[in-house]
Amino acid sequence: MSNENVESNYSKYGEYLITDHLELNLPEIVVKIQRVGEHAFSYFRQDSEGNIVEKMIPAKSNEMKIEMAPIRPLNHPARRTGYVFLKFDKEIYLSQNSAASIFVHCPIEVGIFLIQDSKRESLDWLTCNPVNSRFGLYGSPDTGTLCKYAEVTLATDFSDSVPYVEGVMKIIIENNLDSGQTVSKVIFPITDNSLYYEDSKSVLDGIKVTLKKRAVVSIADVQTDSVRTDWTKSPTWEDSTTNTSMEMGLE
Amino acid sequence: MTPIEFLQGLSEMEIVGGLTVLSLLIGGIIMAAGIIVAKIAKMIFFKYYAPTLPQDTAKNFGKIIYFGIILISFFAFTSSQGLDFSGLLVAGGIFAVVIGFATQSVVSNLISGVFLMIEKPAKHGDTIQIPDMSISGTLLDIGTFSSRIRKFDGTVIRIPNEKFFTSNIRSLTVSTVRRAEAMVGIAYNDDIETAISAIKAEIRLSMPFVLRIPEPEFRVEELGDSSVNIQVLVWHPRDDWSQAQPILLTTIKRALDKAGIEIPFPQRVIWDAKD
Repeated sequence: MSNENVESNYSKYGEYLITDHLELNLPEIVVKIQRVGEHAFSYFRQDSEGNIVEKMIPAKSNEMKIEMAPIRPLNHPARRTGYVFLKFDKEIYLSQNSAASIFVHCPIEVGIFLIQDSKRESLDWLTCNPVNSRFGLYGSPDTGTLCKYAEVTLATDFSDSVPYVEGVMKIIIENNLDSGQTVSKVIFPITDNSLYYEDSKSVLDGIKVTLKKRAVVSIADVQTDSVRTDWTKSPTWEDSTTNTSMEMGLE
Repeated sequence: MTPIEFLQGLSEMEIVGGLTVLSLLIGGIIMAAGIIVAKIAKMIFFKYYAPTLPQDTAKNFGKIIYFGIILISFFAFTSSQGLDFSGLLVAGGIFAVVIGFATQSVVSNLISGVFLMIEKPAKHGDTIQIPDMSISGTLLDIGTFSSRIRKFDGTVIRIPNEKFFTSNIRSLTVSTVRRAEAMVGIAYNDDIETAISAIKAEIRLSMPFVLRIPEPEFRVEELGDSSVNIQVLVWHPRDDWSQAQPILLTTIKRALDKAGIEIPFPQRVIWDAKD
């Protein structure tokens, strides 16, 4: 299915006002929200793996506002890390003291946010590409870093994103070493990278990778490089289920 | 009788060697107050300060606070009674030898507990295995004399610190990732490469917690009596053992079924000598 067809068949990112019911269609995923009573809404989501999520949402009025937006690819199959391992389909060769700027497709997930008093609260997340949402290890089993792993292809520009599946990220690579280097992967914490969307397309803040010498060791220093765009910035998905505790009483 | 006269009466009632009922009553009040203060101090510590500390450290600090206050109360009690323990020192030498033999294992457990707290071979909440005792589970705490482990069946087992300290302890949560393994046999007339490709594809599709890097590994382990035995090794995040090991064989079986590859039964060819 071409990107144009995907855009026309599926719901777009953005804010939705629900007075009675709303159905969001995404690739192999259906989200249904409907009013079930006075100041009460139900939320239903079914994905391609057969997983069903149902929630009741008490509201302050008979209207409810939500936002659907791209989020960082850290939640499926479970949140275990803040790092991402991007393996390029083609290696990039950089001669000594040179730099290159590339666009790559970076996996994304989709977040559903509840808007209350202009605040965005995390309601649900989903992935439209569960088969390719997997983990990878950078380093040795005892001291390595667990990452979300993705084999990525090069993109032409910021408009080349795959709706609901991949956003576009700009990576600047600088080789300050005195020998040529081949770069085939980047590993970085994606928790500092914001996402932006327009219709069904998305972009992420980029990264700047500097290959340099520290003492006698060659290292790759990775810094976040904010993207300049007038697209809408996505809210940050926060898992609110992990930090809730219940105090039963005193001893 | 006024209360003052009542107390005077108590102070004149001597029990033994100058110890009166009144002084014993005051001592009792000091000890009771000490225990109450110790409990309150421990409760305040656990409620406001312990959540910011590691659980092992918090438990040990809690014990030090509780028993420290009780010990101070005991000294206050003995000094209020004017008790002199110097006479015990002479008899104590002989008595200590007797007590030493009798409480050898208790002291051994105590010292092992101290060494366990210093060395920290595992910490509270770690999943560990003690192969010598065939025990696996989550370490609940390392106490003064014993340690407690919650086994995977939900029961809690208490292990004396001496045995725990001298045993081999295998930590299952110290590494970032762990490996799950399974062995499967395929028929001799099936293609090994086809079987491996089928298993690899099925793992990739239906086991989301299996790591892509390092890739699943396949080793032809044995040319057995009835089958070619292949060992399958996959890596997964350390906390997701239950999403890998228990379903690995099911996934392999499903992959081989889909690919039409036979898992042979053990078979033996018997030749009749007359033939």
